[in-house]
Amino acid sequence: MSARGINKNFGGVPALADVSIDLIPGEVHCLAGENGCGKSTLIKIISGAERPDSGEIIIDGVSFAQINAHAAIQGGIQVIYQDFSLFPNLTVAENIVLTAEVAVGRRLYAPASIRPRAEAILQELDIDLDLDREVGTLSVADKQLTAICRALVNDARAIIMDEPTTALTHTEVSRLFALVERLRTRGVALMFVSHKLEEVLAISQRLTIMRSGRQVVSGPTADFDQRSISSYMTGREVDDSRVVSELDVNAPLALEVTNLSLAGAYRDISFGLHKGEILGVTGLLGSGRTEIAESLFGVEVADEGQIRVAGEVVAIRSIQDAVAAGLGYVPEDRLSQGLFLDKSIADNIVAASLQSHRTRWGMLSRTQTAATIKRFFVGLKINARNADAPVRTLSGGNAQRVVLAKWLATEPTVLMLNGPTVGVDIGSKEEILELLRVEAAKGMSVIIISDDAPELVAACHRVLVIKNGRLTHVLEGDQISVDTIQERMSA
Amino acid sequence: MDVLRRLRGTNNEGVLALVLLGLIVAMSIANPTFFTLNTGFSILRSSIVPVIFALGVLIVVITGGIDVSFAAIAIFAGYSTVSFCLTAGFDPGLPGIFAIAIGVGVALGFINGIVIARFNLPTLIVTLGTQGVFFGAMYTYVGATYFADLPGSMAALATSNLFDVTTDTGRAYLHVLVVPVILLCLAVGWVLKRTMFGRSLYAIGGDIEAARRAGFQVQRTQVSVYMLVGALAAIAGVIHIVLSRSANPRDLVGGELDIIAAVILGGAAIFGGRGSVLGTVLGVLLVQVIKNSLLLVGVPSAWLRTAVGVLLVVGVGIQAIAAHRDARRTRVIQDLDTDLKKEQELV
Amino acid sequence: MSQKSPRRDEAPSSTSHPVRQFNDQVGSWTRRVARPTGVQRGAGRMVVALLLAVALFTILNPRVFLSPINLQNIAVAAPEIGIIAIAMMLVMLTGGIDLSLVAIANFSAITISTLHTAVAASDPGLADNLGFLIVLAGIVAGMLGGAFNGFLVSVVGITPILATLATMQIYNGIAIVWTGGSTLYGAPTMLGAIGQAAVANIPLLFIIFVFTAVLVAVLVNRTALGRMIQLEGANTVAARYSAIPRRAVLMKTYTGGGLLAGLAGVLFLARNPTASADYGSSYVLLVIVIAVLGGTNPNGGFASVFGVVLATLTLQVVSSGFTAIRLSSYEYAIAQGVILITVMIIDSISSTRTKRPKKTKAPPGADTTTSDAALVRT
Repeated sequence: MSARGINKNFGGVPALADVSIDLIPGEVHCLAGENGCGKSTLIKIISGAERPDSGEIIIDGVSFAQINAHAAIQGGIQVIYQDFSLFPNLTVAENIVLTAEVAVGRRLYAPASIRPRAEAILQELDIDLDLDREVGTLSVADKQLTAICRALVNDARAIIMDEPTTALTHTEVSRLFALVERLRTRGVALMFVSHKLEEVLAISQRLTIMRSGRQVVSGPTADFDQRSISSYMTGREVDDSRVVSELDVNAPLALEVTNLSLAGAYRDISFGLHKGEILGVTGLLGSGRTEIAESLFGVEVADEGQIRVAGEVVAIRSIQDAVAAGLGYVPEDRLSQGLFLDKSIADNIVAASLQSHRTRWGMLSRTQTAATIKRFFVGLKINARNADAPVRTLSGGNAQRVVLAKWLATEPTVLMLNGPTVGVDIGSKEEILELLRVEAAKGMSVIIISDDAPELVAACHRVLVIKNGRLTHVLEGDQISVDTIQERMSA
Repeated sequence: MDVLRRLRGTNNEGVLALVLLGLIVAMSIANPTFFTLNTGFSILRSSIVPVIFALGVLIVVITGGIDVSFAAIAIFAGYSTVSFCLTAGFDPGLPGIFAIAIGVGVALGFINGIVIARFNLPTLIVTLGTQGVFFGAMYTYVGATYFADLPGSMAALATSNLFDVTTDTGRAYLHVLVVPVILLCLAVGWVLKRTMFGRSLYAIGGDIEAARRAGFQVQRTQVSVYMLVGALAAIAGVIHIVLSRSANPRDLVGGELDIIAAVILGGAAIFGGRGSVLGTVLGVLLVQVIKNSLLLVGVPSAWLRTAVGVLLVVGVGIQAIAAHRDARRTRVIQDLDTDLKKEQELV
Repeated sequence: MSQKSPRRDEAPSSTSHPVRQFNDQVGSWTRRVARPTGVQRGAGRMVVALLLAVALFTILNPRVFLSPINLQNIAVAAPEIGIIAIAMMLVMLTGGIDLSLVAIANFSAITISTLHTAVAASDPGLADNLGFLIVLAGIVAGMLGGAFNGFLVSVVGITPILATLATMQIYNGIAIVWTGGSTLYGAPTMLGAIGQAAVANIPLLFIIFVFTAVLVAVLVNRTALGRMIQLEGANTVAARYSAIPRRAVLMKTYTGGGLLAGLAGVLFLARNPTASADYGSSYVLLVIVIAVLGGTNPNGGFASVFGVVLATLTLQVVSSGFTAIRLSSYEYAIAQGVILITVMIIDSISSTRTKRPKKTKAPPGADTTTSDAALVRT
């Protein structure tokens, strides 16, 4: 299968410009690039979910100007989406076999013949899954296995995996890699979409890097190393520099966490956060780093432990409790948890601070709200025609500034940011970090939860490393470098 | 444990059957006249039309939609067919009458389907709108007169009984139309379980985007669903007219809730993806038995409406609370899973 | 939809264009001043529709349609429907729906009528003196009905459609039992007086309607609660992460809806001193039509009170216009359905044209969920 000269515009904005890619049997082809570079759009075009403006898709020598989902499946192309696209209300067996039945245009459905076929696939891949369980009740890793089995039942000759490791724990990732290797030796062509360097190097034989809708470079993976990939992805050299102010160790503690535990997520977490400090919290996916932040913010209430904010013990049982205590949280899933996409920038900015803009009778003070909106719209350099524009029209970096503005408007004692620069362009990334430094200098304490080592190096006074739900290392001063962080995270 | 799970059924059909059984036992103890062939047959008779409607609603609900226009379609199709036969003065026989009515019903369902699927609009609001249109159109263009005499073939069917048993409490009749209803139930159950069309309904209800990606023809399926509902509604409309031995254009519309309540109580999920014919039939029977028992206990018929409302609140409320708890439980299970994995990792 | 053309430059340039930024600011403030609050997409469209409807029926039958009595009738009939439609709009703003509003209104009217008759039986004078309290009792009954809806939706967690479908049946059923299915006669004389009164030829009922609409518009647009209602409807998850108290907001919204429906029940009695369980059964569809026509997004987050008021008037004009040209109420029912569906189709076409397809679902439990499509940069 190959795609040639694909172009695609969204409302006049080019999302893909002249992209060509080949999938060769028995080879893993990595498609790498930062969020928003057009990877997902390319996948959608290859799988027939979107139609390209120009270009062609060639399957077994037959050229298609555009392709629909049905034809793509018949051509042996299977996509395993980031969200797996499974049916939560059907059993594992049905999920595995159903698409194949659709593809051959079957009209009747025989439950008895379904099971053996699903079982055969499980055996072939040496996977253990309960075929009668409903998919909705499976763990994320098992859902992914189901999706992979489904792709194989369809006699997939080309499997495209969109960010398959995002929601997996470390062990699950290595199991997945073993499986990918087995598929490759069977002669399947694989495309592995990722933005994580180690993964890209570990698994692929060929590599294509995209940036801002353009194909930057293609070639055998052996020709690349972490630094070169990273510079192709970002368009500049890896930055190991630190811009960190001197931390006043005598500053009072803004946040003090003692023996915080949540069954199955993390255990005995204790740390202190000074006024004006920027603290990094890092760890692999599934290490518990996100859960710790969510517990502090009242999303998932901790089972045990004590939380003090500015010296006062606070009981955080809900998000309202956390906000009342002076905590703010920029969630990682910005689009669904952080923003009201169809509402204006102005509405988003005041969304969390409505109570503090109240006058008598519960009325909103127009002058106060207008002042707040203006202050942050201008102060955070949100780039839009005006504050009435819906957030949906903003780029990743600007959208993140809106979420940031929403929380800064509440004047929090501690602001936690989960993946603050995920899907944000380089320029905005720097500016967002600089903003945090400025706010910290003014006395706000900041927690950055991230697995982006350069970002932690660039901004944090100290870095906590979380592994398997436990706080394993506290890095300070010179210990903080990209290499040490990556090593401590995965060691 | 496994046996228990199977007895309980995928949509709690077992629980529903138990409730129904319990109710029947309790009623029989409270009032001996309840447990007679007579009552049983009359409950079955009164369930004929609701069961057919409920099958239609079930199909829509499985795909994640809702239809409130089915009663309007039913009376439109049934009444206009009768009106046509009577004014034209000819009796096409039962197959002919059903064929005309089903044709009308399918056409009306097609309107629903095309509007909903083509423009991706909220199903409740669209069908509320078409309900008004269909009902208004019947009154304006078909007529509003009450027909007390039906075409010969329908009148004959009205008095045909399958059984005619003499018991000590009087004669009990089981109407012959129970048979086609049972056949319809079996047919719909077969379609849902054993055809790709049926499975695609569950797939669409489970995750419409995933269904699209898997290559299901989502739009076409949605249109077919509403056409099928139209057909079922038309059958129910004709049967209603036969059973009531008259064609009254004011009938049926307004009773939609009872049907939707029964389907939801029968285990179908309002957000789609879940539901079975067995559960639906049990749900309808439960509503009918409760109605019947309230009358026998001496509760005035005016309370029926409230009773159905309360039943719906209780049934759905329990489901909603159970869903909260399930969500919490799955998290705990996942937590245990990750714990185990962590331990393996450490070892 | 002023954001069709994409920006051509990224962050760095924004710092180097203070002039342009200033320009943007000025543009923003002037636009906000020029645009009266609460006027959104529904309102502009409805002004046109209202004028068209008036013009059409004036041409078709000017003698009947433009007669003072007909205009008076429109002004008297519109308020009760309009207030229920505003209640519907309020609930739809949170992304829900309340099918029980008309049943609540009837329940309120029946409460008032029964209380009045009971008191009047012993002492007619007392009944008139207590008129205000009796009316208040009716409104409170409406509020309680709404609060129960709110409880079912926010605390128990039942889907709004099902919860209110059930309560519609419950309230309606109780009303049938209470009235024995018949029509009740009698209402405080005070209400009759309100029904007849007019200020400068404008019926008092209509003034009450406009006053209520203004109050709700202020609630929705100028209060913290109103903002929370809008945000809750726009994105429940983001609202939760913004510390918006979901339960309290939903509870207040549904109770407010019940309050308005109770008020509509009072207006029923003011127009006509009779109450029955089945009054206005066609209103359930009608108020949804009005709310959607007025620019309310059935998925929540967006609505315009002014648009709903205009939509109410438009449909009243169509209704009385149909009577003026001798069309039946059934033809009016057809018109309602056709208008509703046409407007939704037009909305759907125009929104798919201007908006990119949005992602439907977030990956389950995934840590990163940035959609490339939404992040495409210029």
